[in-house]
Amino acid sequence: MKAWLLWIPLLVVPAVVHNNVVLTILIFTFILGILAVSFNLIFGFTGQLSLFHAAAFGLSAYATYLSMAHWAISFWLGMLVGVAFVTLVSIVIGAICFRFKLRELYFAIVTLAFSELARLVILNWTTFTNGSLGVNFTLTPTLWIPGRGVVAVEGTTMWYYLSLAAIVLAVFAYSRIVHSWMGRCFASIRLNDELADTLGINVFRYKLTAFVAANAGAAVAGSLYAFYISYIDPHYFSIDQSLAIIAMALLGGRDYVAAPIVGALVLTALPHVIEVNAEARLLVYGLILILTILLMPHGIAGMVARGRRVS
Amino acid sequence: MLQLVVGQLLNGVIVGTLYAIIALGVTLTFGITGIVNFALGAFMMLGAYITWSLTDAAGIAYPLAVPLAVLCVAALGLVVDQLLFRFTRNNLINGLIVSIGLISVIVAVVLMIWTTTPQNMHYVLPGIFRVGGVIVPKMKAVVFVVLLCVILFTYAALTRTWAGRAAYAYAQNPEAAALMGVHTRVLQAGVAAYSAGLAGLGGALYASLYSITPEIGSGYILKGVEGAILAGIGTVMGSFAGGIIIGVAEGIGSIFFPSAYNDAYGLVFLVLILLFKPAGLFAPQR
Repeated sequence: MKAWLLWIPLLVVPAVVHNNVVLTILIFTFILGILAVSFNLIFGFTGQLSLFHAAAFGLSAYATYLSMAHWAISFWLGMLVGVAFVTLVSIVIGAICFRFKLRELYFAIVTLAFSELARLVILNWTTFTNGSLGVNFTLTPTLWIPGRGVVAVEGTTMWYYLSLAAIVLAVFAYSRIVHSWMGRCFASIRLNDELADTLGINVFRYKLTAFVAANAGAAVAGSLYAFYISYIDPHYFSIDQSLAIIAMALLGGRDYVAAPIVGALVLTALPHVIEVNAEARLLVYGLILILTILLMPHGIAGMVARGRRVS
Repeated sequence: MLQLVVGQLLNGVIVGTLYAIIALGVTLTFGITGIVNFALGAFMMLGAYITWSLTDAAGIAYPLAVPLAVLCVAALGLVVDQLLFRFTRNNLINGLIVSIGLISVIVAVVLMIWTTTPQNMHYVLPGIFRVGGVIVPKMKAVVFVVLLCVILFTYAALTRTWAGRAAYAYAQNPEAAALMGVHTRVLQAGVAAYSAGLAGLGGALYASLYSITPEIGSGYILKGVEGAILAGIGTVMGSFAGGIIIGVAEGIGSIFFPSAYNDAYGLVFLVLILLFKPAGLFAPQR
């Protein structure tokens, strides 16, 4: 069975399911899924634990909103500003990290340092970002739909299709990257970057490419997320957010492009399925991280794949 | 102005020793088990809460509450090491993720027991020293002296005792050390418990100076890891110096820049050190 056929039922979900809670969960799953899938490019496929992902998500959310509010441009141009800004920042940070050959722990710590710096700037540049209070806004994305002209993206159904389209595009783009010669370079870096270097692979260039491409995905997710909930605040940058991203990628499975979406679905739906407060959710996130690493390091997708091979 | 600078310098040194005690734990666990335990910050926070409960709620005298809290945290450190970290030895990324997961478990449990309300311990030792125009609270001086003694004791134990030299040998070459009769599993468990105990001590002493919230752990572990890396991970006195450097940088920095950016100095320092002396300030360069 071709795996991409699994996407088709999702197209008709809003026609069948009229429960807004279910659709909302799916919208969050798609948007956070983009975040987790893009994180997995640098983490699962290239083997670098980047802790800048939440920051890329947040920076793009702020850049998109601020550029729209100050220059009166459309959402799509705003998102372009967000992605371009994150790409630029990622090139600088990635170039610093990889030029100086920071590996494993050192890469994780330095990317964490940069994401903390980004959070501090957002938190303290109050005239521009409104500090820790964040910004509530009413701007909405617009779409040109044949026959109906330019309409605002409002309501659950429109957001559903918009986010579905976005994640399909993201999965398509990332699987093209992963299954190309570039993806094989990433894999060789993950397995042994010194050997990759010896074999003539430009480790610096491909690490940087993976880092920038992953963060660009986070940027798209950030813009969409901010405008779906119409609210931005420094929590986008928080450690909890980074934690959630790692948990999604690990739980879904780091070996397949689309697998982190499963993790995103589980972690988004979980608080709705069992009514829990914020503390219990933190507990569950933590336990999921620990148990996944110790008991099923290849995630749900890895378990399923192994089950299929055995039977 | 000079008075202000000297005051901030002293303050930075004292806060720096708190960073240093965490940095020491980070360095020890990394050297012996090959993982960086981010949960040490959470252990520290737990140590502070336990001390607060023992003194203000159970009415135990502070000098007795501190060792009790240290023992509790060390025991917890031993338990999680045997239950969790034993399976991630020498796998840095997995260890990192398990420790990140452990942080949220500990923070969640602390939130359930003690809520988010900041807790303030009653003054253990009121009063101040006046040196010239500079004011140093007595308790801060005590905390500094205790931490300094513990760090020096650790250094002496590592260099002068059989167990300490075994740890050094193991950090340099695990297989050769095992062949020379170093009991690997006991050593690793012992170091994990000792590092947790150090973090617990940091927390117990912290409790007497500042208000306790569930977030303190994340700030301190970040500074601790920064301090450890700054100095070159794996050197004992280096991690002490690393902690002090970050503390002083923050103290002096807050005179000239808005204090909101206080957390940034250590980070900037760290990035610069890693870029130009990647093995750390005090470790031999590769």
